[in-house]
Amino acid sequence: MTRFRRQLLIGSFLLSLVSVLAVMVHGRFNRVLPNYAYLTGWVLFAAMTLLAVYNARKKIPFLPLGSSEAWMQIHVYAGFFTVVLFLIHLNFHVPTGWFEGTLAWLYVLVTASGIAGLILSRVLPRRLSTRGGEVIYEKIPAIRNDLRQQAEALALGAETKSPVIAEFYARQLNVFFSGPKNFWRHLLESRQPLNAVIVELEELRRYLNDQERTVLEQLAQLVRRKDGLDYHHALQTALKLWLFMHVPLTYSLMIFSLVHIVLVYAFSGGAR
Amino acid sequence: MSEQLPAPEFDSQNYERPNQKWICGRAAEGNPCRPGPSGRGRCQATFECAPVLEKKEGEAKGRWRCTRPGGACETGPLPDGTCCRPIPKCSPVPTLRTRRGQLTLAVVTATVAVLLILLGSPPLRTKFINPGELSTPHSSDAFAKHARSNQVDQTCGACHEAGALGPSGMTAAAFQASPGPLEIIKLTHARPAEMTAIDESCQRCHPGHVFHQPNVVRDISCSFCHAEHHGAGPMPSTTDAHCTLCHGDAAVMAAASAKGAGLPPDAFHSRVLPGRNDFHTSRPASGFTRVIHRFGSDHPEFRVHADRLRDPDTLKFGHALHLTGETIPKLPDGRKLDCAFCHQPDGAGVYFRRIHFENHCRVCHSLQFDSETPGLTLPHGDPDSVSAFLHSLPKQYSDFAVRSGITRGEEQKEFAQQKLQQLQARVTSGEDFEKRIFFSTATTGPTTQVGTVSGPTRALYPGCAYCHEVKSNPQGTVEITKPILFDRWLAHGEFNHARHSGVACSQCHQAEKSKVTSDIILPARDSCVACHSPRGGVRDSCVTCHGYHSSVR
Repeated sequence: MTRFRRQLLIGSFLLSLVSVLAVMVHGRFNRVLPNYAYLTGWVLFAAMTLLAVYNARKKIPFLPLGSSEAWMQIHVYAGFFTVVLFLIHLNFHVPTGWFEGTLAWLYVLVTASGIAGLILSRVLPRRLSTRGGEVIYEKIPAIRNDLRQQAEALALGAETKSPVIAEFYARQLNVFFSGPKNFWRHLLESRQPLNAVIVELEELRRYLNDQERTVLEQLAQLVRRKDGLDYHHALQTALKLWLFMHVPLTYSLMIFSLVHIVLVYAFSGGAR
Repeated sequence: MSEQLPAPEFDSQNYERPNQKWICGRAAEGNPCRPGPSGRGRCQATFECAPVLEKKEGEAKGRWRCTRPGGACETGPLPDGTCCRPIPKCSPVPTLRTRRGQLTLAVVTATVAVLLILLGSPPLRTKFINPGELSTPHSSDAFAKHARSNQVDQTCGACHEAGALGPSGMTAAAFQASPGPLEIIKLTHARPAEMTAIDESCQRCHPGHVFHQPNVVRDISCSFCHAEHHGAGPMPSTTDAHCTLCHGDAAVMAAASAKGAGLPPDAFHSRVLPGRNDFHTSRPASGFTRVIHRFGSDHPEFRVHADRLRDPDTLKFGHALHLTGETIPKLPDGRKLDCAFCHQPDGAGVYFRRIHFENHCRVCHSLQFDSETPGLTLPHGDPDSVSAFLHSLPKQYSDFAVRSGITRGEEQKEFAQQKLQQLQARVTSGEDFEKRIFFSTATTGPTTQVGTVSGPTRALYPGCAYCHEVKSNPQGTVEITKPILFDRWLAHGEFNHARHSGVACSQCHQAEKSKVTSDIILPARDSCVACHSPRGGVRDSCVTCHGYHSSVR
């Protein structure tokens, strides 16, 4: 059993155990314990704060606060546990009212984006490894530019002197090399766009002489490299984009939660 | 260790810095400048190198040397020491991380702004923070009118003082709450259903907080049982948990019993609704303080059965005789006498109308005292009226003649005279006749066929004493004990007959076995539990029968 599988097994078991215990405690004390909703609310807020400080933890790596991997594990399992706490705090009812509805939706969106991010970060790196090649995300535009220059030099350069290839490049490949393409197709692991370009290149072959065919081979090679680059770009973008939802909404959720606490106390029976 | 070493193809001149906030605007062209943008995203490009002035011994001016990384350029520095190769300026591009930070800042700003706007504007605030629609009693026009007349805020401020405050006021109110946000431990020490500040708002309109029994040990917070903001309509029903907070707690019940023992009995008198006659039972010595968790488990037997109470009514009536007796004749329409003939539901169908002689008894018990004159009957309800009637028999017969269609005065007199003679033939004296009218019972009655009913039946009107308790007082007049007809037998509970219309009367009330009036033919608790229990599947909560706010006089 690999270390990852062992962690997954132990983590899932502990999460299930704690969740069942929490639901049992809820059943026992829900109607008995005074201020029960306050207590579950504070536990939920504490768990959410723990999840939120993971981002801060990443910014202070020099402090001896445990490994980032351990924090990630805690973030994932505590995140799933807050779903149980959230339902318990709501007493398994759908909240009504604008403020509480917005707060609940923020929680749902943050949790959903977190789960989506977890899935993406588990699936996409494996797919990138399978496809092969390592590209630094920030370097992709420069590599793409380099590929475009190489392709232009091949297709339009003075040495080639092939109007067919030049015309084909201007008509089809110019757009392909100009920027990232086929984002969703790559996410869906579809090779159809690449195959379409390769087929067109193959159809062009019969109109070319031997010298031109050599250029065409080199051009096809550049197309494959560009497609691989787009694949990396699409998957790495997806790996980073989910955070564009998860992080900002987390801050929004925490602000709403703080206001919720203020409102609950200000409007509670104990407020004067 | 090897993992930390740079790869062989590592370009130390152009390595990426993904943790930096901005990247060179020409990075996409594969040609970023070496210094890169500043931390604030400003282009720092100047020249490819910073020439160094080298002076040899004896030289006055010296010579500028190119320091370009990767080797000196061909041209070399300009005479004034400036690099000859300026780097074109660019527009630095934020990294994805920076963009995410900018978006986060924008979202945070928008969130705070929206909250300040919505919480700062009273009309928007009311809608925004309302966690749910108010119940109808607290949102109707009548409530608004009441609030206006009592100078109470008609928005959240009617109940919540913070409802009339802005964001800062609400924050201050939150921290002044008891327990406050910084007193989390105090939350665990709170007693259930403690009175809180918001109860003061409730009591502005519902004053006193004396809704329940006087021996309640401590007041219960209104909001413990009555949850607001759960939608229009009535407030949600209270649950058994609310009731068993006290009634399921032996210590609380013992304390309530002790407190009740020190209170005068009058303190417990229930309010009597005008026009309603309830069957009142004496209060148990320890009050109603038995520990109860559920109706089907430890609810005590109804007191009419537990204390073997009897109906104090002196009217002589047997349900069994009327429902099963062979001598009971059929009704004029041919129907057999049944429960529904006498027990007719009220307008709502919840309870039954009071039994009335004229409506329910006279059809058989016509009070016909003269077997030869079916149409002439005694008045009912007052012995003096009966006595007066008997003392004016000639006039009564004469009036009866008129009612019978005899128009001439002579014939009327003749008719009355004839009837009186026939009657006198059957009685020894007027006094004896009057005595028989009042005191005769069925067994001593003189006739066997009277009124509309004939056949093998016994006398329908032998005398008042057949049904009533009749006494003669020292003054020589007759006293008839007034029957006591109760409208409600279980004064501490509610019952809805309409909801039980699918159940036959005899399933709960053993009327066919009741031979005497003193039988109280209410069903026992077990009869109710058969349905009102988890086993029976019908609601068995406390509030199905009981109300908390039982009024005291």
